[in-house]
Amino acid sequence: MSNQLIPVDHAAMRVHQAVLILLLILGFVLSQPILVLVCCLVMLLGAIVLRKPGFGFIYTWILKPGGFVKPDIIQDHREPHLFAQGVGGVFLLAASVFFIVGLPLWGWVLSWVVTGLAALNLIAGFCVGCAMYYWLNTLRVPGFSRTAPKGSFPGMRPPRDPQSHSTGA
Amino acid sequence: MENEVFLRLGMTIAIVAAGLLVYRLVTILVLARASRTSAPVRSQKPAILYFTTPDCAPCRTVQRPAIMQTKHILGEKIEVVEINAQEQPDLARQWGILSVPTTFILDRNGKPVHVNHGVTPAKKLLRQIRDTGI
Repeated sequence: MSNQLIPVDHAAMRVHQAVLILLLILGFVLSQPILVLVCCLVMLLGAIVLRKPGFGFIYTWILKPGGFVKPDIIQDHREPHLFAQGVGGVFLLAASVFFIVGLPLWGWVLSWVVTGLAALNLIAGFCVGCAMYYWLNTLRVPGFSRTAPKGSFPGMRPPRDPQSHSTGA
Repeated sequence: MENEVFLRLGMTIAIVAAGLLVYRLVTILVLARASRTSAPVRSQKPAILYFTTPDCAPCRTVQRPAIMQTKHILGEKIEVVEINAQEQPDLARQWGILSVPTTFILDRNGKPVHVNHGVTPAKKLLRQIRDTGI
């Protein structure tokens, strides 16, 4: 598999992270574990089936056409982000199982872990799941074929190329 | 029910505050680590230590003009040191550089007092330099 970078719209990912954080916090405050399950399903569906940021549809259908959020195209790999989203989805699946078996404390702990990691990515641009992906790549684990973009620390958001902003994705 | 919502809201605020505190502590640790290394500055002036790489587009198009604007405003009162993190990886490691652009604001003694990860506007750089007592 080639290690060619492709244009990835990070605005869609940021919207996904923001919606995820909002729903998980809302679920905690209102004590509605169903929101955790909804986030879990959306994340897993996005990572495995659609291969897009789970809540990216809000950006694609509403925010981008309405001009509320501008595209932010960065030359990057898509796979590490999908892997990170999948890992988050699995964490939320485990959280949902804890809720079902009557261990809500552990469910909320896992939910807050996902919230914290999403916030780290949204605010500081560091994707822990992507760093895990690149680490597995260095260990030559089959299926983890991409290496971190040149000049960027594994997991950190690669530098932006302003000339490609108008491309859209 | 209402009480529980307020309790959970309070817990949310406490968790978010704890997260911000951790982020602040990490920044302090980065500055403490950088303080232990000798700053590559030549004068006894406040300085901007600017880590970049040749292939970093926002460094060229946004960060460098912001630094030049700051330098233009403050003139000889400050020194600007630009470091290519690819050419000097050991120095970048010593200063804990994870991404570019990263800028450090150094006081007259070469001690780092602020660190900025990512593009930082001239206005913020000016404010941080003024913190050094210029």
